[in-house]
Formats: sequence, C-alpha cells, structure tokens
Amino acid sequence: MDTSGANIDLLFRNGLKDLEVLPPIGAWANIRPVIRKKAGPFLFLRSAAMIAVLLSLSVIVYRYNRELQVSAENLMPAMNELSEQMLASNPAPPVLAFRENRRRETVPRREQAVINETVQLAENIISTDETGFPPATDNFSYSELISPPGRVSALYMTDIIRFSGTKEINDAESYVDNGKERSPRWSLSALASPIYYNGFAASGDDLSQQLMASEQARVSYSGGVGFAYKLSKKLSIQSGIYYASVGQEVAGISSYAGFQRYDYTKGDANFRVLTSSGTIYTNNSDVFLIDRSADRVLTAYTNDVFDPVKSELDYMNSSLQQSFSYIEMPVIIRYKLLNRVIDFNLIGGLSYNLLVNNSVYTTSDAGRLAVGKTEGLNPFTISSSLGMGMEYNFSDKISFNLEPTFRYYLNPFTNVPGLRTHPYSFGIFSGLSYRF
Amino acid sequence: MPDLKNIIKGCLAGNRRDQELLYRRHASRLYAICLQYSGNDEEARDVLQEGFIKIFENLVHYKNEGSFEGWMRRIIVNTALEKFRSRNHLYRVDDIDLLPESESEPYNEHYTGLEAIDLLEIIRDLPPKYRMVFNLFAIEGYSHKEISKMINISEGTSKSNLSRARAILQRKVNLFTGIQKQIVNGY
Repeated sequence: MDTSGANIDLLFRNGLKDLEVLPPIGAWANIRPVIRKKAGPFLFLRSAAMIAVLLSLSVIVYRYNRELQVSAENLMPAMNELSEQMLASNPAPPVLAFRENRRRETVPRREQAVINETVQLAENIISTDETGFPPATDNFSYSELISPPGRVSALYMTDIIRFSGTKEINDAESYVDNGKERSPRWSLSALASPIYYNGFAASGDDLSQQLMASEQARVSYSGGVGFAYKLSKKLSIQSGIYYASVGQEVAGISSYAGFQRYDYTKGDANFRVLTSSGTIYTNNSDVFLIDRSADRVLTAYTNDVFDPVKSELDYMNSSLQQSFSYIEMPVIIRYKLLNRVIDFNLIGGLSYNLLVNNSVYTTSDAGRLAVGKTEGLNPFTISSSLGMGMEYNFSDKISFNLEPTFRYYLNPFTNVPGLRTHPYSFGIFSGLSYRF
Repeated sequence: MPDLKNIIKGCLAGNRRDQELLYRRHASRLYAICLQYSGNDEEARDVLQEGFIKIFENLVHYKNEGSFEGWMRRIIVNTALEKFRSRNHLYRVDDIDLLPESESEPYNEHYTGLEAIDLLEIIRDLPPKYRMVFNLFAIEGYSHKEISKMINISEGTSKSNLSRARAILQRKVNLFTGIQKQIVNGY
C-alpha cells in the first residue's frame, strides 16, 4: 500500500493548519461597506406606518365630527332661553325664516329629514288664522318647536332668526327640494402620485424570498384622469384611466459593456437572470452579466470560460433596473365620511391593470444601457385598493384632492412556476376635480 | 474586547466598525488560505477582499451551527475556486502536462525542519490545476468526484493531477530537507 501520498498530504495539512500571514496594507480599505437589506422588518414597518396614517386620519375625522355635534348641543340651552326671552319681550307674531344658506346644496339627508319633521311639527302646533297669528293657547311653546335638543342640534341653529308662519315654512321645504335637484352628480378629476412599490412572497415560497432579499423597490409614479358619478349624498362610483410606471433594482448582478466583440452567438439571449418578478432575458449582445454572490445568472459564458476583467470590458454597474408600465382601469367606491369645507372619503375598490411595456437596463456615469426584457410577467393583473380621500372645495365646482392609497395585487405578478410574488404599493395621489 | 456574537450582530446591522473588527481578527488566517490557493500575491489579495464582502453579505445565513471560522474558510475557498474557474482558460496546458513525472522517492519521515511558511511556498509553486486539486483533496478533504464537478474536469484527471502534485511536492520537500541536511552536516 502506497502511503507516501497520504503522508505528504498529512505533512501539508498539519503544517499549514495554523499558518497566519498578515494581509497587505490597504486590503481592508478596498473592501466596500456592506449594508444588509432587512426586507422583513422593513416591510412590517412600512405596513405599520401606512395603517397608522389611515387610522390617524380616521380618528381626526371622527373627533372633528364629534366636536361639531357637541358644540351644537351646547348651543341648545342658550337658544331656548333666547327664544323665551324674545317671546316675552315681543308679543308680535313670531316669524320663522331661513337665512339665505350658502351651503344649501350640501344639506345632508339626515338634516333634511329633521327639518321636514320640524316643519311638520310646527304645522301641527301652529294652526295660524288669516292674520297669521297663532291660536291663543297655553299649550304652545316655542321651545317645544325647537326641542328635543338632540334632534334640533342638526339644524343650523344660527339660521333660525324669526318665525313667519306657514308661507316661509313652505318656502323652506321647496328650498330643500330644489337644492337636492341642483347638486351636480358628475365630476372629472386628474390625479398623480409618486408610488412606493414593493412586493412580498407568498408564505412557503423560499425561492421568491431568497430572490427578493437582493431586490429593492425604487420610487415609481402613477397618474391619469378619472370620472365619478354620485349615487347618493354619501356614495359615489369612480373610474378612469391611469398610467403607472413601477420597477425594482436587482442588486448583485454586475454588468459590463463591450462584450459584442467576444460574442459569437446569434439571436439567442446570452444571459438569463432569475428575479422574483420573472426571468430577465438579455437582447443586447454588447452586455455581459455576472453574479458574483449567487447563481442567478444562467449563461454559457461562465466564470471558467470568460473573465470580463481580463477581457477589459467596461464595467457599468453592480445592479440591474427592471421597469414595468401599466395601463390601469380602476373601479372605486367612495363613501363620504364628512361633508364640510374639507370632505373626507373612504375609498376602496379594484383596478384592472394591463402590462404595456417592460424593460431592463443598467446605468453608469456614461448613461443608460438597455439590457433586455423580463419574461414571465402576467400581462393582466388585478389589484385591490384602500385609501382615505381628502377633498378641499375651492368652490362649488372645483376641489383639490389628496388621497393616500394602499394597493395590493390579488394575482401573482409573474406566471413563472415556483414564484408567487404579490406586489403592493403605496402612493399619495393629489390633483384637482371638477363637478358638473 | 467585544465577543464574536456582538461583532456578528454589529456586522449584520451594517456597522462598519464591527466589520473591520471581524476583518482584523480573522484576516491573517484567511489570507494564508488565500495565498495557499493563489499563484501570486495580487490574486490572493483579490480573493481575500471578495471573500470578506461575501462573508458580510451572507452573515445573515450563518446559523451559529459549527465553527464560525470554518464557515468563513469555506467562503474563502469558494471564492478562490470561482477565481480559478474564471481564469482557468488562461492557464496553459503545457504548464501541466509536459512536466516530468516524479521519480518515486520514498517518503522521509524526518521532514521536521520544514516551517509552515516553507510549505506554503512549495505549494504555491505548483501549477494552478495541480495546486487546486491538491488543496481540495488533501487539505479540504473533498473527493475526486466532488472536485471533478467543482472545477469541471473528469475524475480521472483529478486523480492524475493529484498524483502529479504529490510527486512534485515530495520531490521539492526531499530537495529542501536534503539541502538542510547538507547544511547541518557541513557539506
């Protein structure tokens, strides 16, 4: 048995076991800083921040609404007292009239009902004679007309100035009815937003999770025009057409230019890169790609057959940019939570998204270099959206809208087997709308 | 002095100081491995730098199972292997195949005079393919089947490369100890 080989192995293995050699000075300086991406906690924080924003807005709206109600209720005793005083000091026929109301077109349904009931109550109590005087009865009380406090609080108390009998009451009724008819039902809006776009893998999809660890969302944008139809005082339906450009950065893939002179293949993609959104196929024969940290690049030009450094290719970047463009057709329901100078709406619905363009590129100081396309994307996706809309009315016709909106894509972004990535996005849409 | 767990925690948080601390602690041991796998100092330095970047990038995957130094060593060896594969097409075939077969000198058990640094110099003098096969087989403990896949050669070539590497090393070790004996005996 030849043991000499084994012995020489042993000699080197033991001899080199604890060898230490000081590395050259400056070696550390050339090791670039590595900042690990914390996909999980970051995702949680983003989601938490978004929920917090929506909750805060809801609380603000609720408190604002409550404060208005409380202040109106506090007015009641003072108003009752004032009415009694007026009656005592002025035995002339009481007159009820509604001041010209600058908000006549936005009287909510509940308040109309209260007004109608109050008017009916007044008619029942006050059966005026031809002179317009109420009957001389001890049962009549003006405070009864105004009470109960909880109900009358919905009236615009300051609008009740004097009592003028049935004629004015009828006027008030017709005014309410006419106001309802004049309210514009259609509106046209133009909105745009920067979008923070990202995705997360379905549970158990380890491949997507691994791939997404080295992928980072980049700020994208969306914008378009929409129209809305008011179904009722609080409810409206909205649609339109939007253009959205979203994308992500795939880190760790080094790209080089100048490969064309070494490329003898014709037609086929030289490199394929697996990403959580699909597979990138290069269509630019001048591009060389290499993944130094993992095995995401599939190519015949592997490390052992081609070295881009030795071949003096021009280094471009250490990441690739994926860009996707969509035409979106949303169907959104808006529910009005508060109807004031600034209206608050709860927004929710679905959007049908059609992929119209996808590209992959890399950048350097010299500019942008097209790399190829991402294959395997779903050409048609459906996303759900939820948001809170704020609407500031400049006038009866024009308003400014601000809508923080969260979107979640219901079907996977890619149809590549084994990848189940569901993107989501968050944007704050702003723009103008015109009612007609 | 911060313990390894805290240093790793700091590295994971992207703390540059902790990354440097980890480097200072382990660089000299890992650089020796880089030299063992590389033909020249420049290549060894590249492997060390790329290896450390990978160590920092992949720290999140270290599960505290087994030796941390062993885990780092595997990354350095894999980096050296990648470097070797990327340059493989540049190595001349006649560097390897035209070397003379070693005379079958018996193994001398009295190679005690050899220092670790001498062994390192001897191993670095090997042709790249011999050096890689010898390192993977004799030092890291991979089988010929595994080596054949790692550097894309046949098992037979791996065995043959190992045999030639051993022969060269043996000859050089004998030569080295022979010179030493002559010095000791006053020839």
